[in-house]
Amino acid sequence: MLKKLALGTLVFASSLLASNEVNIYSHRHYDTDKQLFKMFEEKTGVKVNVVKAKASALIKRLESEGKNSPADVLITVDAGRLFQATQKDLLQSIDSDYLNKNIPAQFKDKDNKWFALTKRSRVAVYKIGSGVEKELSTYEGLADPKFKGKIMVRSSNNIYNQSLMAAMIAHHGEEKALEWAKGVVANMAKSPKGNDRYQVKAVANGIGEIAIANTYYIGKMVDNKEVAQAEAVKKVKIFFPKFENGGTHINVSGAGVTKYSPNKENAIKFVEFLASPEAQELFAKGNFEYPVLKGVQASKLVSSWGTFEDDNISISTLGENNAKAVKIFDQAGWR
Amino acid sequence: MKYLNKLTISSVFFTLLISVPALILFTNIFIGGENWSHLVDTVLFEYIFNSLYIMFGVAILTAVLGFSTAYLTSLYTFTGSSFFHYALILPFAIPTYIVAYIYGGMFDITGSVTTFILNLLGKDLSEVYFLDIMSIEGAIIVMSLVLYPYVYLICKTYLRAESSSIIDASKTMGFSNFQILYKVVIPISRPAIVAGVILAVMEAVADFGVMDYYGVSTFVTGIFRTWFGMGSVEDASKLASMLMLFIFILIFCERYQRRNKRYKSSGKDFKPISKQKLTGFKSFLAFFACFIPFFFGFLLPFSQMSIWFYRSYEEVIDEDFLTVLYQTLSLGVFSAIFITVLAFVITYNVRLHKSKLADNLTQISKLGYSIPGAVVAVGILSFFSIIDRSFDILLSGTIVAVIFGYTVRFVAISINNFESGFSKIPQSYDDATKTMGIGTFQTFYKVMLPLIKNSALASFIVIFIEVIKELPLTMILRPFNYDTLAVLSHELVGQAQVIESSVPAMFIVLLGIVSVLILVKKMIKD
Repeated sequence: MLKKLALGTLVFASSLLASNEVNIYSHRHYDTDKQLFKMFEEKTGVKVNVVKAKASALIKRLESEGKNSPADVLITVDAGRLFQATQKDLLQSIDSDYLNKNIPAQFKDKDNKWFALTKRSRVAVYKIGSGVEKELSTYEGLADPKFKGKIMVRSSNNIYNQSLMAAMIAHHGEEKALEWAKGVVANMAKSPKGNDRYQVKAVANGIGEIAIANTYYIGKMVDNKEVAQAEAVKKVKIFFPKFENGGTHINVSGAGVTKYSPNKENAIKFVEFLASPEAQELFAKGNFEYPVLKGVQASKLVSSWGTFEDDNISISTLGENNAKAVKIFDQAGWR
Repeated sequence: MKYLNKLTISSVFFTLLISVPALILFTNIFIGGENWSHLVDTVLFEYIFNSLYIMFGVAILTAVLGFSTAYLTSLYTFTGSSFFHYALILPFAIPTYIVAYIYGGMFDITGSVTTFILNLLGKDLSEVYFLDIMSIEGAIIVMSLVLYPYVYLICKTYLRAESSSIIDASKTMGFSNFQILYKVVIPISRPAIVAGVILAVMEAVADFGVMDYYGVSTFVTGIFRTWFGMGSVEDASKLASMLMLFIFILIFCERYQRRNKRYKSSGKDFKPISKQKLTGFKSFLAFFACFIPFFFGFLLPFSQMSIWFYRSYEEVIDEDFLTVLYQTLSLGVFSAIFITVLAFVITYNVRLHKSKLADNLTQISKLGYSIPGAVVAVGILSFFSIIDRSFDILLSGTIVAVIFGYTVRFVAISINNFESGFSKIPQSYDDATKTMGIGTFQTFYKVMLPLIKNSALASFIVIFIEVIKELPLTMILRPFNYDTLAVLSHELVGQAQVIESSVPAMFIVLLGIVSVLILVKKMIKD
């Protein structure tokens, strides 16, 4: 073990010295990412090193490592954490023609400190044949008493719910958002628990009629090896709600270059690669996400769910409103 | 004498070092962040109530399950008793989140078992009494099923070392088995029961995965909500420090009470208990009492895992997987040895020198166990950032950081094991060796080591299993490209590949089983 320890230190030391590499702190943990990293290595000869953990923890690690941090790129699965990282001054502006040209303003930081890479939309899932879809329209409408006892949604500990609430605040202000949250709580079929897939499974089995879930989870349930999930998803369909004065709520997964990045050039190359058509295609196919790059199609399955219009709220606003969103959930008693 | 001082100094130094991350977090108790009044107004009291409820529930359930099974298998032989002797520790090897997920899939509102029974009855959920496993009570049950082996293991080592004379004496006095249990075994086992229960309770209260999935708001889900959702590390740390303070008070109350009631072993003979044979209905009852926790804590989830494993192992096991397996294994063995030795040095020093200061410090160093791994990691990162900046090095992201993290988090288990082990060794032994002029090292080697060996083995098993199961701390502090089985399993779950996640989880369980079997076998032989 001592040998191993020495070896570990050695590997670590050499990783500090070697320059042809890029060090990633990532919240994403999908097989597609592994393939992407391999593609990047083969294409550029730059070695990709990864630490995967929750974004908030990685931000804390970046913060405490300070100038000594070996990290070059931070990848998160939501805009809120990227916003937090910029608030703490952990990311740097980068100047990339490719990214400037290809990532729409709504999907990046105003100072180019981070860029969105993929989109996920938060939708309503209903049981085929229940007829409830005729009554579905807006997110606001989910608080309507006509849905009493019909809504299945997970805990507000979850970032996707927090983002949805952040968007609600951006559209209507805190007071109305609180009212909305109270309305939804009153409509819940069960107190919030489980993950998005749990909600879908419940609705498929006749507990509640509307499940709130992220699109890519639905994709993952299709042909899942767990029979209960694969069976459940066959019984449901997706409805894309809209905001009264906007579109369908989306959140993003994105990346930024760290402030003290020791391999800045590689880091920029890496983020550009993730926004390249070939990488975007893999995101779309492998993980059922919506590509952020125009011209790249969503996967067949994802396209079959229909189209929707992105909400017009800037992604960074979601990050700004995140803390407020959590407080409103607390006040509304949305666990 | 010089040697003694070295021992004291180094043990106090290590104790302090282990306590630093917890102490850094603790300073936040005096600083309220901007969200504090919001928390007090809305959710804080729910966190407190739920956490207390869970602690209380888990304490009772683990005490009953752990002690009763340890008692039965230590004092009696019955159908399957030698099998249960090993088997009852096994639930401990299964990661809690796996059990929670499997139980959700079976017993929740749409669970396979629930639907099956409802179909059988031809009834609807609303027509029957139904306890949804995905609730606070369900969480208590699931946690207790996985955590009772703490109580079992500590009680077992304790009872084994217990002199049979006291039980023989009670028999001569004409006590019935029940009277012996009630008047003798339970009172003398109290320190062991409490030591085990405190560990179980600390672990349950520090859990995030199960509580979050089952929709229970506790201190710990609150800590993460405040940290991740509100972006407030300060308020999250303040919550964590309140939790620590509470656990600290608990540890001290328990010790204060125990001080007055300690059973003093005469230590004249260490003949192991001669087991009584149970027959007929009594044997069946004993079998049943042991089978229930074994079945629900291990057999049922393990069977489900095995089916999943069989369906997916070919896809998951590849060369990378073997590297991960090797890394996990070596990390587990090394950490377990390191922590066990360290805990021994610390507790032995307390015993040798009866130093109040060292004793109190030891109690502080236990705090890491009551706080979730991710929060321990925050304390460690803050600590390291001070060191890193002073010496211009980088400790985070090294194996050293990870092992230090495990030490902070798990040393309490090891210390509790040794404390309860040492409490069995009469002080007169120390005095005798002193009068005989035997040196400290020889006393240690010839007298203490043989007597404390079982506690050390128990500590090694438990730490090893804890380390290979550990997730959040490993994820946050680890070096680049360094995965463990638990991390791999977690990532597969995150990708909705629950079936596939059973493969790394199965290896965790198998490693756990193997280590339990090897070491328990050794314990019996001696």
